[in-house]
Amino acid sequence: MIGFIKKDLLMIKSNFKLLGILIIVYAIMGLMGEIDVSFILPFMSVMVMISTFSYDAYNNWDAYSISFPDGRKNNVKGKYIATILMTIIVTIITLLLSFIISYVNTKTINFEETLVSMFGSLFGTLLVLSFTYPIIYKLGVEKARIAIFLIVFGFIFLITLLSSYINIEFIAKSLSFLENYLIIILTLIMIIMVYISYKISEKIFSKKEF
Amino acid sequence: MENVLEIKNLCKKYDNFELKNVTFNLPKGMIMGFIGENGAGKTTTLKLILNIIKSNSGEIKIFNQNIKNDKNIKEEIGVVLDDIFFPEILTPNDINKIMKGIYKSWDTSLYYNYLKQFSLLTNKQIKTFSKGMRKKLEIITALSHHPKLLILDEPTSGLDPIARAEVIEIFQNFIENEDCSILLSSHITTDLEHIADYITFINDGKIILSKTKDEILDEYGIVKCTEKEFSKINKQDYVKYKKTKYEYEVLIQNKKEFKTKYDIKIIDKITLDDLMILMIKGEE
Repeated sequence: MIGFIKKDLLMIKSNFKLLGILIIVYAIMGLMGEIDVSFILPFMSVMVMISTFSYDAYNNWDAYSISFPDGRKNNVKGKYIATILMTIIVTIITLLLSFIISYVNTKTINFEETLVSMFGSLFGTLLVLSFTYPIIYKLGVEKARIAIFLIVFGFIFLITLLSSYINIEFIAKSLSFLENYLIIILTLIMIIMVYISYKISEKIFSKKEF
Repeated sequence: MENVLEIKNLCKKYDNFELKNVTFNLPKGMIMGFIGENGAGKTTTLKLILNIIKSNSGEIKIFNQNIKNDKNIKEEIGVVLDDIFFPEILTPNDINKIMKGIYKSWDTSLYYNYLKQFSLLTNKQIKTFSKGMRKKLEIITALSHHPKLLILDEPTSGLDPIARAEVIEIFQNFIENEDCSILLSSHITTDLEHIADYITFINDGKIILSKTKDEILDEYGIVKCTEKEFSKINKQDYVKYKKTKYEYEVLIQNKKEFKTKYDIKIIDKITLDDLMILMIKGEE
């Protein structure tokens, strides 16, 4: 299984240059106060991971991987673990970058605020991952792009529609007693979300034919 | 003789193609050439063996174990499939790092020896390789964990004659170890005439014959005769025939018996190409 994780990380390595350039560009923009880096970089890591699916598809890697010992299981497992590792690494880099930017701009470091915004972006990243990967495994990366696009817009539309009928402030107030446990709750949700997504992808891939 | 691969009544149905009751065995220590025209079902059969696709019915046993016992079996199999490989942004060095984490028996020094032997650069992305170089890398990758069974789909296609000779030599060296066997599909039947012990011929999803190469080359023959001579041959004494501009080419299955029955003494030796063409294109 380690081989499968390595494969994805080595593929990302060949994109390191691009990633490095983007980090520098975002860092400069962050220093200029143009953007909040904490939201961009982790999200970018998922985009890089999704690009590995394109390379996989181009050379029919999925079919090849099944010829390896326990290939059907390890293909999916490797992809998820590599993605999580990648997300953690990028999150750490972003966190350091955020501290530096915050220090340079304001001469102080606001640990709590930075950590909270990082946590939010990590949650968003894993939400996107959990949602996207099973669709990619089911439809293939090309068709999945369109499906994901449609679903995301459908979701936004639905939320917008619902928000005009639902009193969000009321919900926020009635849930305010959870505030102290928010990080724990969100962490649990993240773990469950990724696990369910992994299980769905594994199931899809176990039946897939090439 | 012990079989490394046993396939029994294997069926797979698609909308426009069907694999029907495919049955054959590959004995240990042998090279089997798997021949047939494009779309006959060779790749489908190989993919079924590897569990890349799933059969509708039938049984596949490798090393006497059902292929559902995936993990142990695949540790011992090396695979080269057409247009199926590592993502091309990886390098041969990357492949080594990855395979070390996939096969327990991955042999780094053997892999690098092969790379050196075939003059393949270790730090270049696969996408910079020519088709022939890529094929060689695929073969090297399949061989470097000391598999006991090689499953190869068109491994010599796209290779120039010299590279083909090199690759075939590697297969011959591989088979010198009596525990090792190869199932090899190929269009290039001359390669198979050199190295194969067994030939299995598939046409339109059905196995037409599966015998030792020597049996085929000894038993089958081509009779070239006039229309008048052909009219005297009983239908049960030939397999297929083809009418050319000047003569009839008749594929027969039992040279000895034919010689005793008919007054036609010149029976040409058959090549696998002739056999394929007459079997597929010939009339009954």
